[in-house]
Amino acid sequence: MFRKILIANRGEIAVRVIKACREMGLASVAVFSEADADALHVRLADEAVPLGPPPAAESYLHMGKIVAAARATGAEAIHPGYGFLAENAAFARLCETEGLVFIGPNSAALELVGDKVRARQTMAKAGIPTVPGMTSCSASPDEFLAAARALGYPVMVKASAGGGGKGMRIVADGDGLEPALEAGRREARSAFGDGSVYLEKCIEEPRHVEFQVLAGNDGRTVHLFERECSIQRRHQKILEESPSPALDPGLRREMGETAVRAMRAAGYTNAGTVEFLLDKDRRFYFLEVNARLQVEHPVTELVTGVDLVRQQILIASGAPLALRQEDLAQRGHAIECRIYAEDPKSNFLPSAGRIVFLREPKGPGIRFDNGVAEGFEVPVYYDPILAKLIVWAEDREAARRRMAAALEDCVILGIHTTAGFLGDVVDHPEFRAGRATTAFIGKHFASWGTGEDEEFRKRLALAAAAFESLSPGRAPAGAAGPGRNKDAATPWTTLGRWRAGGEP
Amino acid sequence: MSLAAFELLVDGETRKISVEAREGALTVREGERVLEAEVRRISASELRLRVGDRSVRIFLARDGERTFIAVDGRPYVVSEPRVEAGRPGEADDKAAGGSLRIRAPMPGKVTKLAVAEGQRVRRNQTLVIVEAMKMENEIKTSIDGVVAKVHVAVGDLVDAERPLIEIEKEPASS
Repeated sequence: MFRKILIANRGEIAVRVIKACREMGLASVAVFSEADADALHVRLADEAVPLGPPPAAESYLHMGKIVAAARATGAEAIHPGYGFLAENAAFARLCETEGLVFIGPNSAALELVGDKVRARQTMAKAGIPTVPGMTSCSASPDEFLAAARALGYPVMVKASAGGGGKGMRIVADGDGLEPALEAGRREARSAFGDGSVYLEKCIEEPRHVEFQVLAGNDGRTVHLFERECSIQRRHQKILEESPSPALDPGLRREMGETAVRAMRAAGYTNAGTVEFLLDKDRRFYFLEVNARLQVEHPVTELVTGVDLVRQQILIASGAPLALRQEDLAQRGHAIECRIYAEDPKSNFLPSAGRIVFLREPKGPGIRFDNGVAEGFEVPVYYDPILAKLIVWAEDREAARRRMAAALEDCVILGIHTTAGFLGDVVDHPEFRAGRATTAFIGKHFASWGTGEDEEFRKRLALAAAAFESLSPGRAPAGAAGPGRNKDAATPWTTLGRWRAGGEP
Repeated sequence: MSLAAFELLVDGETRKISVEAREGALTVREGERVLEAEVRRISASELRLRVGDRSVRIFLARDGERTFIAVDGRPYVVSEPRVEAGRPGEADDKAAGGSLRIRAPMPGKVTKLAVAEGQRVRRNQTLVIVEAMKMENEIKTSIDGVVAKVHVAVGDLVDAERPLIEIEKEPASS
């Protein structure tokens, strides 16, 4: 086993891995950019190494600096988390040549599944159903147009190096193709450093169901059942659950076995996820392999009782996979909500700024994987995830109610977050019935943030602000800005234009 | 007992209310509408309001001149009118002459300029793309007109609210 692990990531996932290290008796090394000097992961790690300027290319994506940090601190292994270098085969290879262990799949498998086009070919050859689509990225504009016509609109532009919805565009007709290809390439280049895109047939209103897999170095491969991830905005998940309300035991077994077969076909090792689309007729198609720990891994941990980060570290250290398929079972129901720094009322625009107040939800069956602390300035440079709220209960309805209550207990003030929006998602009749597809948010939440309840709450917000200025027990000024003195915090300056005894 | 009138911005919308606070009770009037609430202070940052048979949890925190308030987990920003609470995307200035100043909705980097000065644009046309947190955000015009001024170049880092582009409304013609 290792003695020291470097975590090449930030935010909640870095915190998650640091906690696993501590439980396993391993020392942890954090890395951080200048924007993250005060970040939670830096405070929690045993050691922390600065990487330099905030842009990811100069910090969390800079392979040389990260390898040097591992060298300097004597770390033997690197956990990449998700995003950044997690699915970068060149980085995995660099670790191998530098004598460091990359905690993830072997670099050959990573390279194979990381190239979405090659992965699709491999799966098709292994007899695994795939979504119809192009088999090459290097097509001319005319060839793209011909391919789109052959597949039939709507088609989907996808980044070959893709993930997280980056570079993805739905194209409804021929006129929209060229702008979508251009936008997809630009976004893919900036997110992955590779602008290759291809076209796939767009399966309309599918469900997104994925299977967690663990593969030992000796080829023993098990699956840990599914996660239902259909609740998405901008092709990015915001709520996940396990089990999926869409599967029955027969389909679950079939998809699980297919996932294991897919990973064997790719020669995969360590933790990974096989994503499927499930159409209206309950046909499933291989979508891609996520060759990393997933954001939504906790729902699997809660229903199976398996600590996936610990398993990743064990497999990477050379230990044999101790889990057998027949010992694994799903128990109860888990739901995860992703708390993003985004404004749901403005089309989920990122919302950077300072967190002036943070209250973590607590209670039976509630887990809060958090990456931020009060006073932290959420930087503009990185993915806007702040924290994940995960609940477990005996059945789906109990879990849903627990989530609704926990979301109201999860208070983050100072920036916009998705927490309130998610509260209405779990309350929606379609979600309650377990019928939500990937079209759910677009269909039912286009005009979110209007209506009677919203107006009622706004009036109470006004009343509370007014009461606050009249009553002596003032809310703590979340560390007033520079140059502000205590005297400034009076009703006269904070709430101008008020008159005692004024008319209504 | 105290009574006070307020003019406040909630999420960028100006509202006039009067508030009467007595021991444990609050009467809020806004125009014709009256709301009665029992109020209980739980801590410096938490209030519990009872309105009819509904119990509502409220958390508050101030940052400078803005008060951030969560009502049953839903967040609102309250400030006095001269402080722009600024919801991204609603930061466009409509001047008297019908021209439009388009501002950056959030801090980010200009990755594409789709128009040039003097160019004619149509409503909903993309003018500029600002990238933040790895997301591309297309900034569009809400009016037909002519690009009067471009304030930024590709590669510029911009702060929220920074003017990006000005559109002159097209004079009405036959």
